[in-house]
Order: sequence, then C-alpha cells, then structure tokens
Amino acid sequence: MNEEGRKPEKGLDAPATASKPANDQGSAAESEAAKSSAEANPATDAKPAAEAKPTAQAKTAAEVKPAAEAKPAAGEPTGEPVGEPAKRVATGPDGAAAKPTAAAKPAAAAARPAGAAKPAGAAAKKAPPPPDPRAEAAKAKAEQVKAAIVARLGEAAVEEVGAAHFVPMLVIRKQDWPSAVDLLRTHPDWKTNYLEFMAGTDYKDKGYIEVVIYLQSTELGHFLCLKTRTDRDKAEIPSLCSVFPGVNWEEREIYDLLGVTFTGHPDLRRIMLWDDFKGHPLRKDYNEWDERNA
Amino acid sequence: MWHWEANPLNGPAVLGMIIGGVVILLMTLGVVTYSILWQRKLIGWIQWRIGPNRVGPLGLFQTIADVIKLLIKEDVIPEKSDRAMFLLAPIIAFVPSFTVLAVIPFSAHHVFTANAAIGALFYIALSAITIHGVMLGAWASNNKYSLIGGMRSAAMMVSYEIPLGLSIVGVVLMAGSINLNDIVEAQARSGWWNVVPQILGFIVFLIASTAELNRTPFDLAEAESELVAGYHTEYSGFRFAFFMLTEYVYLFAMAGLCATLYLGGWSGPFLPGWLWFAIKVFLYISFQFWLQATMPRMRIDQLMTFSWKVLLPLALVNLVLTAVIKAFV
Amino acid sequence: MSLIDEKDQVRTEEMLLNVGPQHPSTHGVFRLVVKISGETIIDAEPVIGYLHRGTEKLAEDLQYTQIIPYTDRLDYLAAMLNNYALCHTVEEALGLEIPERAEYLRVIVMELNRIASHLLFIGTYLLDLGAMSPFLYVFAERERIVQMFNEICGARLTYNYMRIGGLRWDAPPGWLDQVRAFVGHMREQLKMYDDLITGNEIFLNRVRGIGVYDTETALAHGMSGINLRCTGFEWDLRRKKPYSIYDRFDFEIPVGKNGDCFDRYYLHLLEMRESLKIVEQALDQIPESGPVLGKVPKLIRVPAGEYYSGIEGARGELGFYIVSDGKDKPYRMKIRKPSFVNLQLLPKLLRGQNMANLIAILGAVDIVLGEVDA
Repeated sequence: MNEEGRKPEKGLDAPATASKPANDQGSAAESEAAKSSAEANPATDAKPAAEAKPTAQAKTAAEVKPAAEAKPAAGEPTGEPVGEPAKRVATGPDGAAAKPTAAAKPAAAAARPAGAAKPAGAAAKKAPPPPDPRAEAAKAKAEQVKAAIVARLGEAAVEEVGAAHFVPMLVIRKQDWPSAVDLLRTHPDWKTNYLEFMAGTDYKDKGYIEVVIYLQSTELGHFLCLKTRTDRDKAEIPSLCSVFPGVNWEEREIYDLLGVTFTGHPDLRRIMLWDDFKGHPLRKDYNEWDERNA
Repeated sequence: MWHWEANPLNGPAVLGMIIGGVVILLMTLGVVTYSILWQRKLIGWIQWRIGPNRVGPLGLFQTIADVIKLLIKEDVIPEKSDRAMFLLAPIIAFVPSFTVLAVIPFSAHHVFTANAAIGALFYIALSAITIHGVMLGAWASNNKYSLIGGMRSAAMMVSYEIPLGLSIVGVVLMAGSINLNDIVEAQARSGWWNVVPQILGFIVFLIASTAELNRTPFDLAEAESELVAGYHTEYSGFRFAFFMLTEYVYLFAMAGLCATLYLGGWSGPFLPGWLWFAIKVFLYISFQFWLQATMPRMRIDQLMTFSWKVLLPLALVNLVLTAVIKAFV
Repeated sequence: MSLIDEKDQVRTEEMLLNVGPQHPSTHGVFRLVVKISGETIIDAEPVIGYLHRGTEKLAEDLQYTQIIPYTDRLDYLAAMLNNYALCHTVEEALGLEIPERAEYLRVIVMELNRIASHLLFIGTYLLDLGAMSPFLYVFAERERIVQMFNEICGARLTYNYMRIGGLRWDAPPGWLDQVRAFVGHMREQLKMYDDLITGNEIFLNRVRGIGVYDTETALAHGMSGINLRCTGFEWDLRRKKPYSIYDRFDFEIPVGKNGDCFDRYYLHLLEMRESLKIVEQALDQIPESGPVLGKVPKLIRVPAGEYYSGIEGARGELGFYIVSDGKDKPYRMKIRKPSFVNLQLLPKLLRGQNMANLIAILGAVDIVLGEVDA
C-alpha cells in the first residue's frame, strides 16, 4: 500500500508510456487506495490522480532519490521506525498492520462485484471512480489520430474511438484498414513505423471477429492500438502485408486459428496446424467433436 | 635379419607375408581402438569433462564395447539405395586405407614393411582411391545429405591432394628418393629432421593432411550440423564401422607419413626406433584431436579458396626454394 | 534422357532438400524446405507448427495463475522471462503493487535467465558452426545458474516461479551470496569466451557479412531484440518502456553496426555483460527482507478490457495480450512471440547463400521452437 503513490506520478511524467500499471477503474487496488487515503490523511491533494496517502507526497519529493532511500521517509506517518526497510501491507508492526488490513477488506469486497460485472457494469457500480487521467489522455490522443485519418480517408473510416487500457484505440472500417495503417505509418505526425503486435479475437456474442494491431513510432514514441472488425460468417479483412511485411505469418496464424481470410495476402495457408485440419480452434464455437470439424 | 625381399617367394615366405599383414592389421586395429579412446579422453579434458570411464578400468574397453555394438547391429540397407554399390562402398573406402600402411616404415627393422622404391607415390596414389568409396557410398545411399557430403568430400580431396603432393616433393628433393626408408635414413644422416629445413612444406603438409583426413576444421564432408552425417548418413552397423575405421586408419597412416617425412621417422637418440616412431605418431594424432576440440568448421568456398590461393602457392614456393638450395648449396 | 542437352551443356537440375524437422541444427522440430542448385540456395520455405500445443486456446480455460506453468513451455530457455511477461500484463491490468524485494528478486532471476539463454545461444551457435568445445563450456556456466534456480524455485528448466503480485518463494538463505559469487566468476568467463571465440579467424570468416539486413527491413518485419539491435538501432524495452524496476539500474544497450551474423553473436556476449551489471546493482539494492508476494485477491479477476504489455525477452519483445470479460479466466490470450516474428525474414536472408551459410544464418536468428510454435 505504501507504494501506491509511486506509480501514478510516474505515469503522469510520461503519459506516452501508457502501459504502466495503475489503479484502473473499478479495480481493487484503486478503491482500496481511495479508502485508505480518506481515513489516513486530510492533506491529500484534491487532484483525483494523486489520491494516495502522504506516502505519495513523500515519494514525490524523493522521486529523484533511489527508491530504497525513499522508503523510510514514506513510512514515517504510520509510525514505523525510521530505517526499517520497505514495510509492506501485511508485515507492518502493530499500528501499521492494522490499517492496511482494514483497508483491504472493503477492497476485496469491491473487487468481487467489479470483477463479476460485465464490461459496462464496472463503471456503473458504486460511485463511478474518477476516470483515470491516462485513459483520458489516451482517448484524447485517439481523437487526434482520428482527425488525421478522417482528413484523408473520410469520416466513415473510423468507426470508434477509445482507449485500450492506456493506449489510444481506434476501430477502423474494414475497407480502409490497410490504407489507414499505411497513412499512419507515413503521416509526419505519427510515423508508426513499427508494428509491435497483432492478434485476432472472436467476439461470438457481439457477432464479429476483431483484428487488433499495436503500432509504435520508434521516432516519436507514439503507441497506438488499431482495430478492425469483420463478420464471423464471412470473415475477410484486407491484408496488411503490403504495409508491414512482418505481419505475413501473424496473418497466417489468424487465418489458421480464427478463420479470417486476409485478401491480398501473398501466401495464405495454415501455419500452425496441418493443411487438412478442419475448423478454426480459437473461434469460441469451435468444438473438436463437431460434425463440421470432423 | 630376415627379410622377405631377400628371399625367394616360396611357401614360408608367403606365410611370412600373410603373418606380417595380420600382425600389422591387428596392430592397426589396436592403435585405432585406443586412438578413439584417447580422442574422447583428450577432448573430454579440454572440455572440462571426464570422458568415457565406465567400461573397464579408466574406460579402457569403451571402444571395444562400441565396436561390438556396431558389429551386432542390424545391417540396414535403404530400400531405394543402389544395393550393390551401397554394399561395396565401405570396402572400397577401407582397403586402400589399410594398404598404404605397407609402405610406412614403423621401425629401423622394417620387418613387415615393404621397402618399396615408390613409397611416397604409392601412398598418394592409393589414398586417392578412398574417395571413390566415399563418393560411391554417398551416391548409392540415395540421400541428398549424403550426396552433398560426397561431393564436398571429392572436391576437397582433389583440391588438397595437390598441395599435399607438392609439399611431399620438397622432402623427396631433400632425400633424393621416393623410398620412405631412404627418406628416414637421409634425415638420420643429415642430423636434423626435415621439419627444420622444410618448415614451410611442413606447414602446408600439416594443413593439407588435415583436410585429406576430413578432420576439423575441414570436416565439411560429414559436417553434422549441416549435413546430418554427410556421406555416411544412411550407413549403420558394421558398414558404418568400416567408414569410421577408414577414417582412423588414415589418421594413423597420415601420422606415420608425417613422422616419416618430417619428423625423422624411427630415428632419434637413446630410445629404440619403434618407440620414437610411436611418440611422433602419438603427437600428430593428439594434434589432430586438439584441433578438433578448438576449431569451428570452414565453409566450402573458403576451403577451396584457401587451398588454391594460399596453400598451392606456398607449396610451390617451398618446392622452388628447396630445388634452388639443393642445386647451389 | 541425355545428360547433355542440345547446346552441349550439362543439364542441371535444382534439388529440393528437406532440412528438418529432425535435423541437428534446427534446434527443435523446425523444417526448412530448401531449393538448392549445387550448394546455392535458390529458395527456402520454413514450415513450423510441429510443436504447436495451442497454449493460447488452453489459456482460455485456465485461471491466470494456472497459465504461468504453461508459459514455462514457450521459450523454455528463458522461462523466468515468460513467467514475468504474463504476470506483468496481469499486474498492469489489476494495477497491483509488487513488494520491493520481489521486484529485485524478479530482476535478478530474469537477468540470470537471460544470461543462461544467451550462453546457450553461443554454445549452440558455435556447435552449428562446427566448434564443439564452447558448447560444453557454456553448459558448465549455465549449470551454475540452473542450480541456483533449482534452489530458489525447485526446478531447473520450467520454473513456475513468479506469481501475479510477486513470487512464489523468497530466496533461501545464502542464495544472494551465491549469485554474487557467480557474477564475479561469469565476468572472467566472458573474457575467456571473447578470447576463444571472437578471436578465432575461421569463426569470423564464417559469420562476418552474412545474413545482412538493415534497420528499415528489420522494423518493417517487426523484428525485436538482438535481431533488431544488430542493425545499429537502439531499441530495448527495458529502456524504451521501462517496466519493473529497470529504471533504477545503470546499464548500456549494446548495438551492432553491420546487421550481420557476427553482430548478432557479439551482441549476445555484450548483453551478458550488461545483465551481469544489472544483477550486481540489484544485489546491492535489494532489501534485506520483506514479503515477496503482494496483496493479491484469492481469485484473480482481471477487470473487463484488453491489455497488452511487452517486455524485453531473451529473444526480443515478448508480450502478452489479454482480453478479459471480467472473469477469472482470460477471454482471449495471445502471445507476442519474438522468435516467431524474427523467423519470418529467414527465407529472404537465405536466398543466394550457400548451404553452409544456412546454418550460420538460421542459428543467428536464435529461435526456440517452443516459442515459435507456441
């Protein structure tokens, strides 16, 4: 718990490296932190991002110092002996131990409904925690990206804007998929020249298969998440091979395991499974005893 | 001293020849057996491990156990192979390797050795036959790795026989004879071994002989990381043992040749001749094993370049120098 | 049919050579269908999937903690890093705090594992090139690391050591001193490797100037790790997207110059040196005692959403992508497998090379089939 304050500041320092962990909406850690901050210290800044304990501020001051040094200072308000290294949740002596456990209980309680809830439900439960500034920043950035794409490819090219965790996320219309990716690759403001990651996911309930890529600009330091969606029954997406030759195998893998046909792919064959394998195992309705797959 | 050359070819003489051959064969097998063990022990020590030590005291019977295993293994002949050639190849490879031992003078009293006037030439000529066995085996296996291994082997042997031969010519010039016995005696007379005046030739010989033996760093023919096992990929059991045997008999023969040509053969102070010879052979063999533990493998094109552009000119320079010195000094 | 055609030339034919799936130098069950003319490679076609175990599909039916042992089997030479990559993604999703001591221990075991993995690369690479001894030397060193791992987590290869929120076990007494002793020993050994291998003319001739590509190509092909850095492009996630506590350590990121196989080999050597530096600093900074497992709910439920985070694995960017619908099992898990991505460039690199270079180039990509096939 003592360290709760450390990460948010770091995150603020470098919002571009958005994948740093932090108290996500509805997560156990955050509600816990909020609780303990309320009871522990009235001097907490009003800023929702820094809702941590005084430890956080001590840390802020000591940010430049090595973490090991900062620790004892952080422990002071709770009455720990100075010089005692890194007290953590369960091991604090006496007084220190009592508080975190108390704080942990509601946290555990909060975690359960939050975890069980469906995506939309998480925010609606309880008083909605203030939106994480990094997610907000990501969304704002996604809007900028959208503007860049829309300017070239038209309003319809971007179907949705949001944030995937703390990464700006855009859903691109299927037809514009390669051109949008290529646009961002060559766009002077974005230059996303490195395709970090590609995956496909079958959302059976929502009725589409989604292909997601994480783009990165090695020069400007941007991280973007682009998605496109296709129908489950006739899954077909234009291939990105002409833009990033490195997706060749990734697309073959998605074709193999999810059954998405990438039009324009130079060599679309199964890659992991053998050629006469039937069915696509990563589809949610795949069943190896199924007639169709037999 | 009895020698068959000086006697008429009658019954006892023929018997003597046969006995001589058998004795040499047994001795060779013994040398091969224990040079394999020595190889494993020496490389083991170089590589911080113990080496075989389970079969017999200090692992002394390890190779014997291995040979027995190979001999009683099933003799697998691939269905699609050229059967006749496949069966014949190991024999073609082995026979010359053993035959060349006939001209190596093991000791001053070359009881079992042919005192052939063409000794050095005989060695070079016969050892070239082995490559036919290797190529036949490679081709007959009907395996692509074997084929590539066989081709590499052929290319390499042809390329390295030339510098090898030329380096030997230097020694022959020094001694004025091709007879290996005469060469040894010439060295004993002159007081220094050929390795001193023929140092350039010795270096060429050492490198070219390593290549002739298909040993690291020239072991491309059986480069296991590229060609699985090279030309003997499809061989198993005692046919494989024949190829192995060929390799090690050649190692012994080449060590003998090296000792004879450059290190004074059986000549040397204090110790008996056969012991001097054994020591020199042992050093050469150990040197080969040391190389094996140290060097990575060369690439075929580098190998060819090295032979034709470095070794051959060096051997020629050595030859010319020797001739000039011999003529004017 | 005559072997001589009308133009009085010997008729030649290309040959299809099936390298693998059982071949001494494919480092597992990797198959490469090579079309050769003489010894020159005209075309190469990698065939993978022999070791496909469907880890991603299996993970959909496993709780997060249960997935950890499966990650051991991906890149089995650097299982600690795989463990961490998964835990890291889940921890980020949960916003978990990791106890200080656990963070340091994690860094120590990860860097040791990186060293073990790089050592094995050097050994097998030299073995591919026909040098036998380095292979046995590196195993002696690796053995020490593996023994230390055995002591800390009870396994030599598949560690299953990390947990979401920390580690399964604290280091046994005296373990850190062992590591410190090892660091000193390893420094000297690295010097020996440098002398033994980098100083060998035959080796240099075999690896210099082959398998060359530039940064542009590498980036377009999504390469990462040493395969990217060998082109002279400084890209190490430990610096570019600092995770764990890597921002507290002082280390260099060695980069290559020519993007050839020699650079890839040499970077492995240099990176071990940097890893040793990190381990040493971590040993200096690690708290004396403290918990190694943070406050984690009994049943880990990742809030709905999607999460991707990558770490600098031994072979490149190793990432886990998790789509959660709020349950205790991932809705979809996808692994960003560095060897899988790095391997794609292979056919391009092989065209026009000769057979012997095939092994040198393939070896330098540093693949682990468990990861390629997942």
